[in-house]
Amino acid sequence: MKRLWLLALAVALVAGVCAVGQAKTLYWNLATEPPSLDPSLATDTTSHQVLKQLFVSLCQFDDATMDVLPDLAKTWEFDATTNTWTFHLRNDVYWTDRNWTLSGLPVTAEDVEFGIKRLLAPETASEYAYVMYLIKGAEAYNTGAGTADDVGVKAIDKYTVAITLNFPAGYFPGMAALWLCAPLPKVAIEKYGDKWTEAQNIVTNGPYVLGEWVHEDHLILKKNVAYYDRNNVKIDEVYCYMVNEQSTAMAMYEAGKLDVNDNPPLEDMDRIKTDPVLSKELAQAPRLCTYRYGLNSSKPPLDNINVRKALASSVDRQSLIDNVLKGNQLPAQTWTCPGMFGYVDGVALGIGYPFDPEQARKYLADAGYPGGAGFPEVTIMVNTSQGHQKIAEFVAKGWQDVLGIKVNITNQEWGVYLNTCSVDAPQVFRMGWCADYPDGNNFMNDVFHSGSGNNYEKYNNPAYDALVEKAAVSTDPAERRDLYKQAEILICETDVAFIPIYFYTYNQLTKPYVVRTFASIGGQTWKDWDILDH
Amino acid sequence: MFSFIVRRILWTIPVILIVSSITFLLMHSVPGSPFTRERALPPAIQKNLEAKYHLNDPLWKQYIDYMYGFVRLDFGPSIAYRSRTVNDILAQQWPVTATLGGVAFLFAVCIGIPLGVLSAVKQNTLIDNGSMVAAMLGVSIPAIALGPFLIWIFALKLKWFPVATWGSPAHVVLPALTLSTAYLSRFARITRASMLQVVREEYILAARAKGLREIVVNLRHAFRNALIPVTTIAGPAFADIVTGSLVVEQIFAIPGIGKYYVQSIGNRDYPVIMATTLLFALIIVVMNLLVDISYAMLDPRIRYS
Repeated sequence: MKRLWLLALAVALVAGVCAVGQAKTLYWNLATEPPSLDPSLATDTTSHQVLKQLFVSLCQFDDATMDVLPDLAKTWEFDATTNTWTFHLRNDVYWTDRNWTLSGLPVTAEDVEFGIKRLLAPETASEYAYVMYLIKGAEAYNTGAGTADDVGVKAIDKYTVAITLNFPAGYFPGMAALWLCAPLPKVAIEKYGDKWTEAQNIVTNGPYVLGEWVHEDHLILKKNVAYYDRNNVKIDEVYCYMVNEQSTAMAMYEAGKLDVNDNPPLEDMDRIKTDPVLSKELAQAPRLCTYRYGLNSSKPPLDNINVRKALASSVDRQSLIDNVLKGNQLPAQTWTCPGMFGYVDGVALGIGYPFDPEQARKYLADAGYPGGAGFPEVTIMVNTSQGHQKIAEFVAKGWQDVLGIKVNITNQEWGVYLNTCSVDAPQVFRMGWCADYPDGNNFMNDVFHSGSGNNYEKYNNPAYDALVEKAAVSTDPAERRDLYKQAEILICETDVAFIPIYFYTYNQLTKPYVVRTFASIGGQTWKDWDILDH
Repeated sequence: MFSFIVRRILWTIPVILIVSSITFLLMHSVPGSPFTRERALPPAIQKNLEAKYHLNDPLWKQYIDYMYGFVRLDFGPSIAYRSRTVNDILAQQWPVTATLGGVAFLFAVCIGIPLGVLSAVKQNTLIDNGSMVAAMLGVSIPAIALGPFLIWIFALKLKWFPVATWGSPAHVVLPALTLSTAYLSRFARITRASMLQVVREEYILAARAKGLREIVVNLRHAFRNALIPVTTIAGPAFADIVTGSLVVEQIFAIPGIGKYYVQSIGNRDYPVIMATTLLFALIIVVMNLLVDISYAMLDPRIRYS
């Protein structure tokens, strides 16, 4: 086996040297320094963008359909009697460093077990450990009440790993595609401690290796010649800048220094859309995030359901998108965003509250404030940011014009703001949510279950809890879809716990010679991209 | 003079102690913690994180631990950048900022002061009026407007310099120019005003009466004395330049420490807040000391005892 591997490496190296004349390099902007390249510790999209190239997980998502595909695991099956998912791993995935000195060290089931248990170890202090609490014994181990041996992750043999859950989560293969389930290189972690993610120390197994990482300046990914699907990886090198200023990144894109600009400045959108060249390079793709205005229904006058209906009916989302946001976002009347399992098209099905000034005034009159007379002042609070401020001003103006009520806008610094919202939420406050995994559970249950720490609205309806709890454990997709639809109707229409504002989109400028895919859940899949001669 | 310097250096110890105590108390009294997230963390996860960074210890113990690390020059881990220590951040990012700031300061001094002298010598001529209008503009245009403007002209249109990022001497020019403009203008204006004041002094009249050439009068007699007010602002200006590079670093994507001054506070990254604040304090103290020493060198009448 080892010989075969060395042969493959030699062939790949020779091929690499022969092809050196036409090495393909993608120039990308990460926008910021990745806070951590440790899969157990990373929590942000920038780190995840890089991690996706460095490490394989058990499964992976299809960029277009969001279907769960094999990656490290070739196949998997579920045993309902024990709530156990068994993953059968490939035997041709190898660990490697940037100097190719680890020839033929295979990635095994033990590495998967090590990775998940390291994530859960209390001393790792992983922020996302709780996402894996559905694994048997995981919560007890993470909170210090159990041991690693009691965690339901076991390497059955070299290439088989069994994961036992507390309940039969039908969506678990999707969670196994997260970087949280990635196998980790025990040797490197034990040898280098916190410094194991530096370019000279890191050991990885994905389509690219970390060739260089100059903090705050750039990092370079190089094609992994030992990657199991190396023949289909076309781009040899990805040079990642860390340019945070949008206008600078835009200038670099126009000067040909960047091949993709995935976040063009709002101020340039009108120009981009009318420019004959740039408009052809602009693509808009959905992004799995929803923007909402939370309502504190314990504070008068928002304790009156008709007031909440009136406010929800007087937000002109399309006008907000056309005139303020300008990024072709989609108006939202429900919570789970398009592209997720469990998404309900509220606009088409008439769920939630579309912009309807007449109906809004009627709701307000029903609440006892005809024409806004006697209505107390309402405060919208946002975290300090020009973008959020502009949205708040638009919404406030709409409420004033349609309902004739007085609206204040205040802002607080981010940390203070979150504290305010969790301790004593203002009447109206803005929040956003992005998917960790493409299932309605991540939006409906993880945010608005009465026990969720993300439920800033303090929404508490036992009927809603029952619906999302049932959907979490059901294995019948049709039934789950229906349960999520009922839950959407309950929270967005019947109870008006919050006002969904819009679903996010990505605006991306891509040079015409880049052949690409669009990933809506964090992290582009560069291994599937290509660069044509130009 | 020597004992003056020694005393001033010893004085920095209580200054640093006071600054560190105030910073420590302030940052812990602001609402929010390093683990405040839009996506709220479950209490068990918070507990693990607090244990990892010893934030569950009593405040006095955290302070003593920090100061014990500080005297050993161990500034602790960054909480927001979990695989890096504050020492790593200082070692990798501070030299970049210091280089940028140093070059910007040189621009400000080497262009601003001669410009001021020239204006004063040619008072009320086209040169004087022109350079003072330019100086006024320089003070008024913020870096956030000037930076993109310089990129547009010199990088996109003329292609003389790179658009942004860091790595070669050519990369330093536009950001250093952007950073220096406000200070360059200030130096020019103060040098001019100070020169105009000095040339009315009697000893300048005496120098002229001796029959010295105009250039000797201006440079040897007037300029040297005119430098004292300029020196006074040079110290704080240097401190401002090397700590106020956030915007310029952002515009030109420079891997400096500027963003850590601001971001660390938003992130409640306590060890980074402490380190950057103390670094800032130290620079101010050192620059003021250098200003005091240079007074004595410029004007023999000033002596410290």
